[in-house]
Amino acid sequence: MNLADREDRIVACGEYVLGTLPVTDRAAFLARLSTDRELQAEVVFWQDRLLGLARRVRPLAPSAALWQGIEARLGGETQQASAAEAPETGGLAPVRAAASRRPALPLWERLGFWQTFSGLGLAASLLLAFMLVARAPSPSPVNYVAVLQSSDQRAGWIVQASVGGPVKLVPLADLGTIPAGKSWQLWTKGKSASAPTSLGLVPAADALEVPKERLPYLGEEQLFEITLEPPDGSPTGRPTGPVLFLGKAQRI
Amino acid sequence: MNKAATGFDYEAALGACARGERSALKLLYDQEARWLMGVALRIVRDRQLAEDVLQEAFLQIWRAAGTFDASRGSGRGWIFTVVRHRALKEVRKDGRASRVEVEDLENLADQQQEESGPTDIDATELERCLERLEPKRRECIINAFVEGYTHEQIAKKLDTPLGTVKSWVRRGLLSLKECLS
Repeated sequence: MNLADREDRIVACGEYVLGTLPVTDRAAFLARLSTDRELQAEVVFWQDRLLGLARRVRPLAPSAALWQGIEARLGGETQQASAAEAPETGGLAPVRAAASRRPALPLWERLGFWQTFSGLGLAASLLLAFMLVARAPSPSPVNYVAVLQSSDQRAGWIVQASVGGPVKLVPLADLGTIPAGKSWQLWTKGKSASAPTSLGLVPAADALEVPKERLPYLGEEQLFEITLEPPDGSPTGRPTGPVLFLGKAQRI
Repeated sequence: MNKAATGFDYEAALGACARGERSALKLLYDQEARWLMGVALRIVRDRQLAEDVLQEAFLQIWRAAGTFDASRGSGRGWIFTVVRHRALKEVRKDGRASRVEVEDLENLADQQQEESGPTDIDATELERCLERLEPKRRECIINAFVEGYTHEQIAKKLDTPLGTVKSWVRRGLLSLKECLS
């Protein structure tokens, strides 16, 4: 898949909507989709045009209990307008929760918004993400994106970083809670760096922002990873626990 | 297109959902649930699982309605994509997608060409363009959308090398794009 190639772009969008986009291309495609308006328009094309294939499927009335189940859960849901409350914070101070950003920011940039979707599937999240980006009044300032995946290639987080700006970490899936007596620690390692640098603890499976001062450098193929560490983070200044999520930055 | 065909305004309903109007979600549900249930069931092949998929999908639609931008496509297309992708995620977790139940394929084979879904969706142009595709390419695309099959599953079903299937899907999509544009 070469997203600079016209035909590859058409096919990738069609396959994304069909659901046949190979797992190996998926993360790169979604990262690009979150910022590439033409790609977004191409996905919408396929989404609307292939809809007619649904005519080939026999309908089936769901049980009466289904709506009741949905309605019952609506009670516990909040609309995104009220979802930008500060998340619980913990761990190292330098990693601050991002939901306290000023409300004048466009919706797509308000990380509180993203928290609303932390329990959604990756595809849905990014579908929503690109719709938000599509509404943005000005070009996104993001220069690099990394999708952090688990060892079984599940996308867990997206990292957005721009030169001279903060690092934003946004969950893409339901990541559960941090195991008791443990912590999640975010690291980065430049392409030619000898060892990772800590960006601080990740207090919860919520969006957060790492101040730009903590980011030592930023470049193509820079590694971002989250490891499982003791409750106060790695005692050695280097990762000591297993890597939970890992991804490389791509310039966008 | 869809508005004219059904009289139901999906975009307006999503807008009302975004404002927190539960009655709008119920309207959407009443309008679409049986079609969406059919689509989800065909992919996950288990009634209870299909209902779980639909429940999660409707909650996603409720939460995310505010992000839907009607200037960038139809509400109905968006809703179906949310449901299909949720179903695909469900059926493919734990690597289950690599399996194809041969008896399932045989049982479902006779449904392949049948049209019993939402007939108010205008598929005239799509069908005309599908007709023009080489049969194998058409079959690949229909299997992917309707059955939720991966390249590997299609290859197994058609008893064709994986690379050939990938090429058929690619050529099929490019021809469709040209025909539909």
